[in-house]
Amino acid sequence: MLMTAKPATAAHKRYTIRTLAFMSGYVAVMVALIFGAFDEIQGKPAAWILAAAVTAPIVGQIWATLALMRETDEFFRAVMAKQFIIASGLAMALFTGWGFAESFAGAPHAPGWYIYPLFWGLVGLTAPFIRSSQG
Amino acid sequence: MKNRLKLLRVERGWTQEQLGQELGVSRQAVNALETEKHDPSLDLAYRIAVVFDRPVEDIFENPHA
Repeated sequence: MLMTAKPATAAHKRYTIRTLAFMSGYVAVMVALIFGAFDEIQGKPAAWILAAAVTAPIVGQIWATLALMRETDEFFRAVMAKQFIIASGLAMALFTGWGFAESFAGAPHAPGWYIYPLFWGLVGLTAPFIRSSQG
Repeated sequence: MKNRLKLLRVERGWTQEQLGQELGVSRQAVNALETEKHDPSLDLAYRIAVVFDRPVEDIFENPHA
């Protein structure tokens, strides 16, 4: 045998655990925000700290994704990269379009942080159709 | 990329899972290679050649030839 295969399931289990860990932090901040826990710090320096803190789980998620790509095989890597490029491209296109609609067509304001859940929603929507590393 | 991977695998009585273990890749990767949904890297192509003890050209059709 050339080498021992790392079971894809083990890498995916680690990815799931890391994702849940990072996303639970992100969701906790979002839930607290929705229920007004940060209303008192609006416009104060503490709000900048909160804004910086909420980016940490996202950076962690990027690390978890890169770790999964490192731990899986070249086919998974290629398909995953393709899924992320398509989802991030669509998220940027939609958000850019919405931004212009806000500025010039009177569309309601969409906060910038919407782009991250939008990205993951698009990953979920497009991933089932991206099963090949080709084209 | 057209290839004889499935034929060679079946000749040895291996499942995709078993071939994946020999190559150090997932069953899904073997399936993608067999169904031409993934072109192997040069490194993987050489690993496949070693497993089947054949030159790469005997397993993968050169699309540029």
